[in-house]
Amino acid sequence: MDNDNNIYFKDLWKKQTVSQPDMQDLLSRVSVFKKVALRSLWMTNIMLLATSIFIIFIWIYYQPQLISTKIGIILIILAMMIYLLVYNKLFGKYKDIDATTTNHDYLQKLVLIKKKQQFLQTNMMSLYFVILSAGLGLYMYEYASRMTFLGAGLTYGITFLWILFSWFFIRPKQIKKQQDKINNLIQRFEEVTHQLES
Amino acid sequence: MEFETIYKTYWDRIFRLCMGFVNDYDIAQDLAQETFIIVWQKLETFRNESAIGTWIFRIASNNCLRQIEKDKRFPKSDLPAHLSEEKQTSIEPHIQFLYKCIAELPETDRIIISLELEDVKQSEIAKIVGLSEANVRVKIYRIKEKLTQKFKENGQR
Repeated sequence: MDNDNNIYFKDLWKKQTVSQPDMQDLLSRVSVFKKVALRSLWMTNIMLLATSIFIIFIWIYYQPQLISTKIGIILIILAMMIYLLVYNKLFGKYKDIDATTTNHDYLQKLVLIKKKQQFLQTNMMSLYFVILSAGLGLYMYEYASRMTFLGAGLTYGITFLWILFSWFFIRPKQIKKQQDKINNLIQRFEEVTHQLES
Repeated sequence: MEFETIYKTYWDRIFRLCMGFVNDYDIAQDLAQETFIIVWQKLETFRNESAIGTWIFRIASNNCLRQIEKDKRFPKSDLPAHLSEEKQTSIEPHIQFLYKCIAELPETDRIIISLELEDVKQSEIAKIVGLSEANVRVKIYRIKEKLTQKFKENGQR
C-alpha cells in the first residue's frame, strides 16, 4: 500500500502546472532585485549624512564661540554616525549568510543574526539617545546663555521635557515594537530548528 | 556548468519545491526566481564539493525558510483569499489537495517530502537538510503516513 501511495503522490506532485519564465527576463530582474534591497539603506545613509553636513555648515557659518557648542555639535554628529554604523552593519549581516549550507546550519545562523540584531537595537538605540541628548544640551548652551533667564529656562525646559518624553515614551515603544517582531522571529526560527532535532 | 542549462533543468523542480512550501502560485514563482538569482550570483563559488543538485536545492530550501520572515511582514490573511484559487481552477483537485496538505506540514517536513517526491536520493536529502540519513528515512515514512491519512479522510482515494 505504501509503495502504491508513493507512486501516486509522486505522480500527482509532478503534474503541478509550471511555467518557466524566460531566462533573460529573470536576469534583467537581478539588478532590480539588488536596487530594491539597497534603496532603504541608501535613504537612511543620505538622510543622516545630509543632517550632519547641515550641522557642520552651521558650525562654519555661525562660528560658535564656546567650546561647549563645538562639543555639542561633535556629539550630535557622533550619535548619528553610530546609528549609521549599526544600521549598515545589520544590513551587511544579512548578505553574509551563506545560502549554500544545510537547512539546519542556515536556521541556526538566522537565529544568531536575529539575536545580534536584538542586542544592537536595544543597546545602540539607548546610546544614540543619550549621546544625542547630551550633544543637544551642550549645543544649546551658547545660545541660551544670551537669552533672558526666563527664555533660557523655557528653552531648556522644553528641550528637557522632549528628551524625557523620548526617553520614557518613544524609546521604550520603539524598542518594544522592534523586539516583539524580532522575538517572534527568533521563536519561529527556533521552532523550525527543533523540528529537525526532534 | 552553464547557468542556462541549470535553469532549464532545475526550474520546474525548484518551482514545485517552493509551491509545496507555500502553496501559492505567485509566491512560489517569486521564491523560485529569487533562488535562481542567488544561483546566478553564486555560481562561480560553486566548487564541486557536492552535487550541483544538492547545492541548488540547499539554496532553494534556505530561501523558502527565509520566507518565514517575510510571512510576518505580509500576513496571509491580508491577501484576498480567493486570489490563488481562481488561477488554479484548471488544476486537478487531487494535485491541489496534495500541495495544500504539504504546505500545512511543519516547515522542514515540507522541504523533506518535496525533495522525496522530486526523486532526490535520501542521502542527498540528508545533505540538503542537515540530518542523518536514518533520520530522513524515518521522517519521510511518517510524513507519507500523514499524507495518506489526510487523503483517506478527505476521500480522495
